[in-house]
Amino acid sequence: MRKFRFWKLFLAVTAFCILLPAAQLLLWSIAERWPWPGLLPESCSLRTVKELLFGSAKLPQLLLSSITLGLTVAALGTLAGILTARATELYDFPGKGLVTFGAFLPLLVPGTVFAMGIQITLIRLGLSDTLAGVVIVHLIAAVPYCITIMTDVTRAVGNKLEQQAMVLGASPLRAFFQGSFPQLLPGILSSMSMGFVLSYSQYFTTLMAGGGRVKTLALVLIPYIQSGDRALASVYSVTFAGSALLVFFLFEGLIHFIEKRGDGA
Amino acid sequence: MKRMIAFVLACLMVLPLFGCGSKAEEIDLTNASWEEILDTARGTTVIFYGWGGDENRNNWLNTTVAQYVKENYDITLEVVGMNIDDILAKLSGEKQACASSGSIDMIWINGENFYSAKENGLLWGPFTDKLPNMAAYIDLEDPETLNDFCMPIEGFEAPYAKAQMVMYADTAVTPDLPGSSEELMAFCQANPGKVTYPALPDFTGSAFVRNIIYEICGWEQFQTMAADYDTVKAAIEPALEYLRQLNPYLWNEGKTFPDSSTTLDAMFSDGELVMNMSYSPFTVASGIADGIYTETTQTFVFDNGTIGNTNYMAIAYNSPNKAGAMVVINAIISGQIQLTQYAQLRELPVVATGKLSAEELAAFESVDLGKGILSQAELLSHRLPEMPASLVPIIEQIWLNEVVGK
Amino acid sequence: MRKQRTVFLLLLPFLAVTALVLVSVWNVLVQSFGYIPAFGLTQPTLSYYKAVFTNPDFLSALRVSLKIALWSAALACILGVALSMALIRLKKTRGRAVYLVRFPILIPHAVVAVFMIQLFSQTGLLARAGYALGLVEDYTRFPQLLYTPGYGGTIAAYLWKEIPFVAYFVLAFMGSISDSLGQAAENLGASSARSFWEVTLPLSIPVIARAFLIIFIFAFGGYELPLLLGATMPKALPVQAYLAYMNPDLRQRPLAMAMNGVILLLSILMSAAYWYLVRRASRRMEGSA
Repeated sequence: MRKFRFWKLFLAVTAFCILLPAAQLLLWSIAERWPWPGLLPESCSLRTVKELLFGSAKLPQLLLSSITLGLTVAALGTLAGILTARATELYDFPGKGLVTFGAFLPLLVPGTVFAMGIQITLIRLGLSDTLAGVVIVHLIAAVPYCITIMTDVTRAVGNKLEQQAMVLGASPLRAFFQGSFPQLLPGILSSMSMGFVLSYSQYFTTLMAGGGRVKTLALVLIPYIQSGDRALASVYSVTFAGSALLVFFLFEGLIHFIEKRGDGA
Repeated sequence: MKRMIAFVLACLMVLPLFGCGSKAEEIDLTNASWEEILDTARGTTVIFYGWGGDENRNNWLNTTVAQYVKENYDITLEVVGMNIDDILAKLSGEKQACASSGSIDMIWINGENFYSAKENGLLWGPFTDKLPNMAAYIDLEDPETLNDFCMPIEGFEAPYAKAQMVMYADTAVTPDLPGSSEELMAFCQANPGKVTYPALPDFTGSAFVRNIIYEICGWEQFQTMAADYDTVKAAIEPALEYLRQLNPYLWNEGKTFPDSSTTLDAMFSDGELVMNMSYSPFTVASGIADGIYTETTQTFVFDNGTIGNTNYMAIAYNSPNKAGAMVVINAIISGQIQLTQYAQLRELPVVATGKLSAEELAAFESVDLGKGILSQAELLSHRLPEMPASLVPIIEQIWLNEVVGK
Repeated sequence: MRKQRTVFLLLLPFLAVTALVLVSVWNVLVQSFGYIPAFGLTQPTLSYYKAVFTNPDFLSALRVSLKIALWSAALACILGVALSMALIRLKKTRGRAVYLVRFPILIPHAVVAVFMIQLFSQTGLLARAGYALGLVEDYTRFPQLLYTPGYGGTIAAYLWKEIPFVAYFVLAFMGSISDSLGQAAENLGASSARSFWEVTLPLSIPVIARAFLIIFIFAFGGYELPLLLGATMPKALPVQAYLAYMNPDLRQRPLAMAMNGVILLLSILMSAAYWYLVRRASRRMEGSA
């Protein structure tokens, strides 16, 4: 396979560039001192791991709440994405261009501006410092991506299969689930992953909407980065990235399972 | 359909225009006795907002302090980590949205932030005259009890811990430590490219530059100086000249400065820099204990002294539990809790030595803080007062215009 | 009429989100005109905008921000599309390779800055490797790659995060095109390279362009990376806004908001320009088809 050699090399270089800092992160999370010019740390300890597991932050609760929050946002964001994409791709209506532009709006607003503005809005709606408020704010960050992804996929899939099902007498909802849904599934998966990532890594918006009361992993991680305890920041980053990848892994397994069962049926 | 969209939008647009509602009546705390305050506070939860980047402090608050107030006053202490500018952003958001009952009880604060918060009505007070431990443990005549960065406190905040600017270096790498600005110049010339300070407005970098100004221009004239760009610039011109002369010997030739003291810490422990600085005077002891710094790292100050200030605890204007916050603050300024803060966190205590019992004094003196640090007595005898808060941002701007890359 | 109701119901979540965003932005923009009654500022004024535009540092900050945004977005798109193609070609659109691509997406920006410092600073891994190989005598001799007024470090950090983002963003779409139409072209005798350049890539342009815009706007308005990895002077526009916002004097807040207002305005102008170009291009394509 000579013709793939270039692509293989490219992929290998990319993988190296991505994994090198990650490997360094792992080393840093157990390093005590790592002075110039050593290629490896001078001394190591398990101080940070102890602080991660037995420190002031309650890790299991943090993980549970962050992941639940991320999945909720992923599901709601993707739902909004599917609905909006159906409206713009399958129907014609005045102001359609405005919708595609509006879908981008949250991306145009600098994060700090938005967080400060939404805080005032949430206080007026009585939702500041609540989980619901945080879900809303995360949703706003996630929805543009979900809409974009679902729009592309919906455009590719169309609604022919659905319409065929309707002609055969299926209800619209059933027609959707039997016709388009399986084909939308890869898109739904990407949209959900994106929604999850965005929720999982929100910091400033969570801080403003949740008032520090709604605790997430990112909320605990960022102050350690800012305080310069590199070892502790690294061990939290590893936990952060590891848990998110684990969720993706479960996600993918689930989809795989569903598809297999679908094929078998 | 357009009409429906317009309607939804109109409803939401009108929302921010609603004015403030009437405030709910609360118990009259200003005239209440301490016993009544204790009674009101019993069984409540107090939420304490402050910087959360120090794992040791988080642990101390969540265990030592939380247990103490639970056992003695049946108060649940909840600690929320947040930077002070975010806390002020949150509070000012609540103020703008007219939230009469907020979510913050206590705040860890000082300096310009205190001044601004107090000026803009974000704090509740005065309250310190209500606290029994103020009179029992704190020197009420101490300038740092009366003023914060030269701004009158007027009972709006109670002392929490003392900070003082220190510098440190590894004596195995650089055996001679500078004791003045001239010696610092020679030190930098001997170690070109290996000394720097954080870019202003970083808290530590800003304090370092003020310290250089004190070294060269003296400190007294600034206590009453008008907050005017040209006045300040004329007064600090010799110090600016010194900093410009320092630039060629600094890291990256003074064209760029690291963004924060955090970055400086990392560069120092990697050996990229040979000198570091901090506002926590005993930080080297913690660093050596954690294995981040070498055993030969040593703290030093200028012979003429370094800037010290106190950080404080205040109560939010819309705190739903002001009585509880007062009880917790009162507990934290007690000799007992200050002792644990000194021993566990290596922070300079705020209690007046003269007001401690012989027993308490002995307990303080028996604490072994660790290696590489200066004693409390040595620090306090080299302590200079802060400048007025209003001069600080002006100096930061002047530095940006007159020193960086010059 | 029924169709209209369906459309409205489908759009409802989107409209709710948009309304919240608009209201929030409105809350902030009001402040940029110096209207914050809670702090005794009650006279709406344009003076804060005037202060932003007359600030001698404004133009250099704008130049820095545009430069960061343009380089990050352009390089991320080129290399991201290449990465996506590599994955499709090597049939690795699922499994381990995709995890590899997702990893940078979920790393917060502050951590990416730490990565860059650990790699490229004067005592970073690169300098240490150079020392171990005898190429660098002392770290002070290693070139300063970060914190330069050219903002190379900031751009590199964005690239580390955004190349995989582009790959991930276009992967599903390019994958399906390549599978269906690209395969068809190849069956008709086109070489795989030709089917990429003539079928897959042109059809994917709208998706890629959208990724470009997302990154451009993000890099233009983000303050974290230029703050952590950039020069002390000149500062990027969002960094200036962030520092003004951090200023403890709450009455400085309108100035920060005015800077943010300018960033917002420029972002909207650029996306409007993008939309105009995309629509014109798609009309021309329809016309020629």
